[in-house]
Amino acid sequence: MRRGGIVVGVALAAIGAAGMIRASIPQSIATTGSTGADPIVVSGAYVRPPAPPTQLAAAYFTVYNTTGVDDRLTSVVTGAGATAVLHTLIGGVMTAVSGGVTIPAHGSLVLSTGSGHVMISDLFGPLKPGQSVNIDLTFQNAGQITVTAPVIALGATAPTGAATTGATK
Amino acid sequence: MRRVVAAVLAVGALVLAGCSSSKPSSSSKGSELNDRTGTSAGGFDGLGLNPAQPRPSFTLTDTTGKPFAFAQRTAGHPTLLYFGYTQCPDVCPETMADIGLALKAIPAAIQKKTYVVFVSTDVKHDTGPVIAQWLTNFAPNSSATFVGLRGTQAQIDAAQTAAHITVAEDGGQTHSALVLLFGADDYARVAYTQSTTEQQQMTHDLPLVAG
Repeated sequence: MRRGGIVVGVALAAIGAAGMIRASIPQSIATTGSTGADPIVVSGAYVRPPAPPTQLAAAYFTVYNTTGVDDRLTSVVTGAGATAVLHTLIGGVMTAVSGGVTIPAHGSLVLSTGSGHVMISDLFGPLKPGQSVNIDLTFQNAGQITVTAPVIALGATAPTGAATTGATK
Repeated sequence: MRRVVAAVLAVGALVLAGCSSSKPSSSSKGSELNDRTGTSAGGFDGLGLNPAQPRPSFTLTDTTGKPFAFAQRTAGHPTLLYFGYTQCPDVCPETMADIGLALKAIPAAIQKKTYVVFVSTDVKHDTGPVIAQWLTNFAPNSSATFVGLRGTQAQIDAAQTAAHITVAEDGGQTHSALVLLFGADDYARVAYTQSTTEQQQMTHDLPLVAG
């Protein structure tokens, strides 16, 4: 019932955990969240590695829609694994989102432990703290944004900006 | 594999369960606990439980296949009790990591006598060896005792009920996010849900209940 989800990552030519380096976006977008001109700003991105024998990683970040028009996150692809599925808390249950998720005008989507995550499976290789993972987010209006997410050990403090656990709009 | 994680933030539900299960007529502890309201609210960083919950009785199977009677085996020990499943990508490993790191931050003597009991809600997939290996992620160099438990669906449901935890659904994937902390006096007066400060809360509270 909750299978599927919006995002089935394409197995971008097995590039490993730190792969998918493409024309990178300014680091400021991934860390500060306050570059005025960008319609969509992503902050606090990080990835938690799997806890073996489980082979699932989770990516977290916050998406701000700085425009006055709703936008929609339609696809997530990561360099860490072939499959990436967005999960958000719906009615108290963590649910795979199908068909994308709306980021309201001047609103945000907060993915943090317990409120939502991108579940990454079919990993290309081991994920270790110190590595980073590129995450491609595709928006209906804003197009594609690539963020670079450090791998942070389970239990270690998440990057600033990811700590929000409150309501998302 | 394509599992849905399950974090029911069951604080409200827990309180409800706690309330409905306390039988004023048969429990002399009711008034006693009410009198402690101030203490319980004041001392802990975690979520205060009022009334306090006695250490529940249930017997499940440990990762080596032997029976483990929770109340008897952990009696008198500070004990963190958590229900979850290993294929959970976010809340479960994060919570267990918080527990592991909190234990490292408390005095060695308290760490040594503390039990961490993880009960799998995924009856179908979490075998003894899987749970055992998964727990090692969170217990490196720890002198605390980590116990992984499994059982039949009926046993797991009963254990959650006994612990006043919302019974997991969806093959164990939708489960309570609460960690209960039982003290040396065999009562839980505080619980935790995953948050950025969970580790610190546990580090603060564990010595308070260690006896």
